[in-house]
Amino acid sequence: MSEEGRAPAAAAAAARVRIAELSERAQRSNYRGSWALFYKEILRFWRIAGQTVVSPVLTTMLYFLVFGFSLGARLQEIDGVPYIDFLVPGLVMLALISNAYMNSAFSLFITKIQGTIVDILVTPLSPLQILLGYVGAAIARAMLIGTIIWVVAMLMGASAWHNPLIIFVFMLLTALAFALLGLIVAILGRDFDHINLLPSFVIMPLTFLGGVFYSIAMLPSPWDRVSLFNPVLYMVNGLRYGMTGTSDVPIEQGLVLLVLLNVVFGVGAVWLLRSGKNLRE
Amino acid sequence: MVKSFDDPNLVSIRGVSKRYGDLVAVDDVSLEICPGEIFALLGPNGAGKTTLIGCVTGLVADFEGEISVAGYDVKRDYRVTRRLIGLVPQELNYDAFFTVRQGLEFQGGYYGEWPSRAKVDGLLEAFSLGDKAEANSRWLSGGMKRRLMICKALMHDPVMLFLDEPTAGVDVELRDELWQYVRDLRDRGTTILLTTHYIEEAQKLADRVGIINRGRLVRVDARERLMREFGQRHVDVKLAGPVDKALLGKFEGLELSVIGDRVLRLVFHEQAEGEVRAAVTPLERLLKGLLEEEVGIEAIEGGQSSLEVIFRQLVQSDSREAK
Repeated sequence: MSEEGRAPAAAAAAARVRIAELSERAQRSNYRGSWALFYKEILRFWRIAGQTVVSPVLTTMLYFLVFGFSLGARLQEIDGVPYIDFLVPGLVMLALISNAYMNSAFSLFITKIQGTIVDILVTPLSPLQILLGYVGAAIARAMLIGTIIWVVAMLMGASAWHNPLIIFVFMLLTALAFALLGLIVAILGRDFDHINLLPSFVIMPLTFLGGVFYSIAMLPSPWDRVSLFNPVLYMVNGLRYGMTGTSDVPIEQGLVLLVLLNVVFGVGAVWLLRSGKNLRE
Repeated sequence: MVKSFDDPNLVSIRGVSKRYGDLVAVDDVSLEICPGEIFALLGPNGAGKTTLIGCVTGLVADFEGEISVAGYDVKRDYRVTRRLIGLVPQELNYDAFFTVRQGLEFQGGYYGEWPSRAKVDGLLEAFSLGDKAEANSRWLSGGMKRRLMICKALMHDPVMLFLDEPTAGVDVELRDELWQYVRDLRDRGTTILLTTHYIEEAQKLADRVGIINRGRLVRVDARERLMREFGQRHVDVKLAGPVDKALLGKFEGLELSVIGDRVLRLVFHEQAEGEVRAAVTPLERLLKGLLEEEVGIEAIEGGQSSLEVIFRQLVQSDSREAK
């Protein structure tokens, strides 16, 4: 029989052994926990691949067919590049940006709405480990879709294989930037409207005006100069250089811009996760 | 040699306060939880139970005061403390994207160890969810979702489990099974803090009880001590005819009163577990006396002031003091 208000001695002794043992194990780093979150996020979008992968690929390929084949045949070459080749990097970037953003933004926001964010917040995952899980999966989805579009476009006759390393670097850094942005918006957002606001009113217009379908050299003054303030222009043109060897702007500027954006968004996202703003009380 | 944790307390809460604007949700609370105990935290809605648990588990990041688990600070050493803690939150949640099994595997995975199939199956069986392993958690009933949440909290074998109203929506039969599982869990070395509205269950389970009201811990004591101090038992004996006042003289020393004209009420204090039994208990004396006098007895009914009554008394007196 236990003394008043005390646990039975056997239970207390068992507890003390378990506490000592687990306290020791708990000192280990938990990057495998981050991997579990990443894996879960991959499965999440893969489970609904029709919506998250097939649909964006089909939509983009429709752009490719309409603009590339039917209208493109009537357009002249741009900087000596056939319009159909010119179009590929723009369309890859269009899909890459929107899917990187959507994946991290919606995934984190849905866990907030469902309340399952609690399951993650009570774990030993650090802010950086949580970020890696969400952002890693968003990058994976964006890169997968971008790569499928690129490969299918080439199978359909486009030639877009100038420098694979530059292609990879621009795709990766752009996906990272928009995955981070999506995470930030999901943390700050309080309803679904907030999540949709940025893609509808900022990302989509900047992408369409960022040289996806045209070269800024084709724009009348002052719009060619105004376009230089659009960050997406540098991403599209960096990828275009990697695929076709031509660009409206120096690709070094694009690289610097992407690194800066990633640093700012990365620091911002980690800071938000660390502060617990809108996630913890 | 087997290592053992030597500190007297597993969780140490010192001077913790949490404010939301003008509202003080938790007001300067200090509390210690000992290894291996079951501690019941009771309080009315909005008393601060969930907020206090949130401060320990990391859901409430910004609070005054200090909390340590196994000697580790919950803010500075959160990676260690959250590994030691499991939480079953009050709000029902489920991930509509995944099956029950996947949800549990991910939850274990977040703690760095991907669980074996046998472990998941074992937990699901223990909570009568074995046949739901491959079902989407969206299609589970409320009670099943609640049990799934308990499974999730146990996936990483925490040494300290917080159960925030875990039986809400769970039907009576399963509730008993669940409490049995809680007892077994404790016997195997898991320390447990639970909040519940089913105070009777805290009465059956807890070693110690804490009563919280308007953010303040009003009382923390051994369950038996609370019962003894505040707990009373009474027995109503309904006689065949009106009570003969002269009869009462025979029972001098007993706390006896007459209710209506045919009922005798005997009041006596709760006998604590382990207390030496009196040679003749007040009830035995009363019944023997009545039989000797050949008084007809029609019915006997018993009652006791439960922890619920004690809880109400303490909360009411605390609220009066505040006014």
